[in-house]
Amino acid sequence: MEEKKGKGVSRRDFLRRVGAGSVGAAVISKGFLDAPATEAYPTEAVQSPKGRSVVSLKVNGKPYRVEVQHRQTLAEVLRDELGLTGTRIGCDRGECGACTVVIDGRNMYSCSQLAVWMNGKDILTIEGLAKGDKLDPIQQAFIEHDGPQCGFCTSGQIMSGKALLMRNPNPTEAQARRALSGNLCRCGNYNREVEAVMAAAKAR
Amino acid sequence: MAQKEFSVVGKATPRIDGFERVTGKAEYTGDVQLPGMLYARVLRSPHPHAKIVSIDTSKAEKLPGVKAIVHSFNTQVQWASGGLTQKRMIFNNPVRYVGDAVAAVAATDRYIAEDALELIEVKYEKLPYVLDAAAALKPDAPKIYPKGNLSVGDGRVTAPIKEEWGDLEKGFKEADKVFEDTYISKHVNNAQMERRVSVAKWDGAKLTVYASTQGISNARGDIAKALDLPLSRVRVVCKYMGAGFGNKNQAQDYDMMAAVLAKSAGQPVKLEFTREDDFIGMHGRWASEQHYKVGVKKDGTITAVELNAITNMGAYRKQSGDLTGCDFYNIPNYKKVVSPTHTNTVVAANYRAPAYPQSVYGIASMLDQIAFDLGINPYDMFLKNRSRLAKGKNQYSSNAMEACIVEGAKKIGWQEKWHPAGASKGVKRHGIGMALGGYPFRLGLGAATIRLNPDATAHVIVGVVDIGTGAKSTMAIIASEALGIPLDQIQLASGDTDVTPYSIGESSSRTTSFTGTAVIAAAEDVRKQIFAVAAPELKAKPEELDLKDGIVFLKADPAKKLPLVKAIRRVESEIIGRATTNPTWPEGIDGKAFAAHFCEVEVDSLTGQVRLTRYVAAHDCGTIINRLTATSQVKGGVVQGIGMAFTEELLIDRPTAVPINPNYRDAKVPTHLEVPEIEVIFVDSYDPYGPFGGKVVGEPPITPSVATIANAIFNATGKRFKELPITPDKILRAVQV
Amino acid sequence: MKSFENIDPKSVKEAVGLLQKFSKEKKDAAVVGGGSEYLQLMKVRVATPDYIVNLKTIPGLSYIKEEGGGFRIGALTTLSELEEHKGVQEKLLILSQAAGEAASPQIRNAGTVAGNLCQRPFCWYFRSASHVCLRKGGEVCYSVAGDSRYHAILGAGPSYIVHPSDLAPALVALDAKIKVAGPAGEKTIPLEKFFVTPQVNVRRENILGPADIVTEIQVPLPKAGSKGFYYKVRERQAWDHAIVSVATVVQSAGGAARDARVVLGGVAPVPWRVPKAEEFLRGKAIDDAAAQKAAEIALDGVRPMKDNVYKVDLAKNLIRRALLASV
Repeated sequence: MEEKKGKGVSRRDFLRRVGAGSVGAAVISKGFLDAPATEAYPTEAVQSPKGRSVVSLKVNGKPYRVEVQHRQTLAEVLRDELGLTGTRIGCDRGECGACTVVIDGRNMYSCSQLAVWMNGKDILTIEGLAKGDKLDPIQQAFIEHDGPQCGFCTSGQIMSGKALLMRNPNPTEAQARRALSGNLCRCGNYNREVEAVMAAAKAR
Repeated sequence: MAQKEFSVVGKATPRIDGFERVTGKAEYTGDVQLPGMLYARVLRSPHPHAKIVSIDTSKAEKLPGVKAIVHSFNTQVQWASGGLTQKRMIFNNPVRYVGDAVAAVAATDRYIAEDALELIEVKYEKLPYVLDAAAALKPDAPKIYPKGNLSVGDGRVTAPIKEEWGDLEKGFKEADKVFEDTYISKHVNNAQMERRVSVAKWDGAKLTVYASTQGISNARGDIAKALDLPLSRVRVVCKYMGAGFGNKNQAQDYDMMAAVLAKSAGQPVKLEFTREDDFIGMHGRWASEQHYKVGVKKDGTITAVELNAITNMGAYRKQSGDLTGCDFYNIPNYKKVVSPTHTNTVVAANYRAPAYPQSVYGIASMLDQIAFDLGINPYDMFLKNRSRLAKGKNQYSSNAMEACIVEGAKKIGWQEKWHPAGASKGVKRHGIGMALGGYPFRLGLGAATIRLNPDATAHVIVGVVDIGTGAKSTMAIIASEALGIPLDQIQLASGDTDVTPYSIGESSSRTTSFTGTAVIAAAEDVRKQIFAVAAPELKAKPEELDLKDGIVFLKADPAKKLPLVKAIRRVESEIIGRATTNPTWPEGIDGKAFAAHFCEVEVDSLTGQVRLTRYVAAHDCGTIINRLTATSQVKGGVVQGIGMAFTEELLIDRPTAVPINPNYRDAKVPTHLEVPEIEVIFVDSYDPYGPFGGKVVGEPPITPSVATIANAIFNATGKRFKELPITPDKILRAVQV
Repeated sequence: MKSFENIDPKSVKEAVGLLQKFSKEKKDAAVVGGGSEYLQLMKVRVATPDYIVNLKTIPGLSYIKEEGGGFRIGALTTLSELEEHKGVQEKLLILSQAAGEAASPQIRNAGTVAGNLCQRPFCWYFRSASHVCLRKGGEVCYSVAGDSRYHAILGAGPSYIVHPSDLAPALVALDAKIKVAGPAGEKTIPLEKFFVTPQVNVRRENILGPADIVTEIQVPLPKAGSKGFYYKVRERQAWDHAIVSVATVVQSAGGAARDARVVLGGVAPVPWRVPKAEEFLRGKAIDDAAAQKAAEIALDGVRPMKDNVYKVDLAKNLIRRALLASV
């Protein structure tokens, strides 16, 4: 189990990223940065018990325990506390889909779930798709069919596609479009994203 | 057209960084985490025009975790990017639109920064304001600037924008008929998926900014100028960014705010925009009111066009405010007067082909309407009036517009499907429409360095930022082809001003031309050095050698060959090639990419809803460097046109001057379900001035898209829609009569 | 978002008790189901509750049961579960269709039936922190002088919001009932009576008090020979609210209507049933003329605002289309 302190404490965790080429590995080293005295919070602000909890998250098959503020969304906790920055935040309003993850088999906007609601949930993010260096067929299809342009919506499109294929391994094109319809792509790469999902379905 | 047997150019090549993009490993600016990093948010004006009397930050400062607060009274930094017209600071006083930045706070977490915004007390003295561009030009309108609201360049650019050639009066005299009408387009936000964000870090006197920018070189220049730093002490890094479509070029106010906050707090600062900040604190496409007077002969040939227009630049002017859609049509006598105008609203600046789709909508609607009034098939109208000369006088370096029209029409089945406008009866009405577009193909300054390793792999080092176009891949492909080395032996380094040389910035569809040309020249430099060391290995003179697909061989006898790694075996470290190139057009020649778009619609006359059933985009882009990414670019531009045609518009509440739809849902950006299969044709074309004959791809696709859709809707309903967006209520009102 | 405390009750009783306590202490507490809609209000600080009472931790509120001549649907059933339920598709197709029209797949996967019925308006003034409108305790409905293109043409004033739910018109057309648990116990009322117009209460869209929780929706099976039709006119085909929508359930025999329910969405602060049009249809053969007349009657007394006159014809067209598709 990984233990992580939440933000706002006078010591800060920082997450060191591993070198490129290591896919899906969630190796996180912890370190503490001793902040100078001027950074320390006055006691009452830090110790306030209200609005903070420790949550148990299961992300990509791995258990995590992390202290969060109640107002932190799942998207923020994945990115800022667990270092899983593959889940992007495009609008933080539940309108664009860039933050899509799969929770208990269903695609959802992680910006619209509080982290404290996620106890006991099975969460799958983009980082959990590849097995070591072997990409998931949907990821491979996205590369071959030019799924990403700027790439910012890509994680979300892939996760919606993955959620679809987990429930319906042989979708029609209309079903694929509808499954991704909650994911915006301002680069306008919609044809390619659907094409990739359909190719991934055939590849299985 | 002359086409060589390319090894990699022209093929469909997956992006070289596709792996990073599909695994979530790509590091965007918002992913950057630095020890001790603070989070910052921006406070914005609630008033459209007001003097800031005082800013009291004492309560905010007391909030535990707040580390620095900057605003116009303690920070005077110029926001110089775009380099146009008036002096704009990162915090201005007076504030000139709802959303103008007033202060920025850095705190130990983003929630505290957000809490702190509420504790800053600002006293304003409200000033009269004007929201409407035409009203702003009236003599009694509230003055946003001392010289008034017509946006006047600081002596560098005169206003209004004027352009003319030929003899307008003569042109109208020659006409058999003269038509006049007005077309209106709206402010549309770029709405790129990545919200603006900047991370600034000081190491002593050196500033590093992780920026979400389209141009690291010019961002560095802007930041150095704004903060009075030598260029060597500013480093701008951008490895991946989530698009910008024109308004993330150079440095923006939030880059400077982050830098100043970081200096003040003594810690790195990540300044993040909310999506609302992004819609109103940044820029969108300028709205326009275009009045056309078009003279034509009986057979539809244009004799003269006069355009008088107002463009709404919002409170500050960053870019041209021009309207150039007439570029693609053959106009022997022409006069254009465009008045970029200030209003107390969200600022307008560059959005993909900034001066084009709205004005192509104008002129192509005019021509389509004239075709109808004269009883001419629009296909014949557009074919006959396609542009043959640039600005009425210059030759084009290449022009395959005719092929675009012919091949695109064939693909959609124009001759079989077309019917006169309004002929389709019944509840669901079929329509088909077309329009012409394109974009300037420019020549200019680029730089590249190539390092060839002893194992025959190579690094290509360019200042390019890939905004989603696939520019990194394009540069690698060009390098591979120009060097004669397989693509998988090329490693691209980009996006860091400490390491990579100058790049114009990914904007205005210039990267392939400017930087690609430099890459080719740098590759030539490397090849010269290769042949010099390889010559003795092959017992030949250097000029007798060639290199292709990683094999060095004798031109006269290709059987005499060596793999590159053997040919350069005497090189111990590396061969470095470099080039800075800056070609210019010869007198009398100009460059353009061309396009012809076609679409079919089905209009539900009971609900006003429109279904786009088919879309064909035919493009003349010269040689296509990467067929895979170029096709995606065309599809993407069309989708943005779909949004602009059907739904998108920034709405400002008139009584309160507040933007009321600064979010994706209310801005109605197109979804998967708005978009049919977009069929892309690249016609056979080669331009001698472009890298391997290539011109431009990125911006042309959006330019004819809005007009194409509007003309199809006219064909379906027999009603002309002269104001964008063409929403169901407008259609209902028109057909229900 | 402003700081708050999230509480996970384990039973309806506990939740009601908590809400009562907070109400007594004058603390701002919000009930949350899926949470997607309410969180966005919090993010722009239009809603700043001190407490969130998260109903998702209460077991036994998510179910779809067919019994006693109808369906009982637990309040926390998600919109996706409702849309995909085989029994609902077979016997209450209009409800499955309406559920499938809501928002986007991600929202439907998280959003609950009760949450959809209780959602706050999507009026852009309501959702703007810059405008303290009537519904938020201010003095003015900004749509009157401002942009009213998506606002109400019926049943409105002094606030002109439209109810954003897709389920509501379909459920009202199905004569659904709603069960509410509160301090005084449980009560079941017709869903039509659950919603309130601004005349009755300008601050709320429904009759829920500060300690009330929706627990169940009950839907009787439509009478034999009934056909349901749900149509939503929208500018974008995904994640967009109705500019006008219509739900009709028509029981017919031999081309003539025996009974009819016609409910409009996107036109009023509540799902707008048009009993006069329903009355007119009873016993009539549904042809072009009858459908046209029913539409006219339905929109009688309509009061469009300066930007939404188009909704009048649109609503009429939709009613005609729905009725003609019902036979």
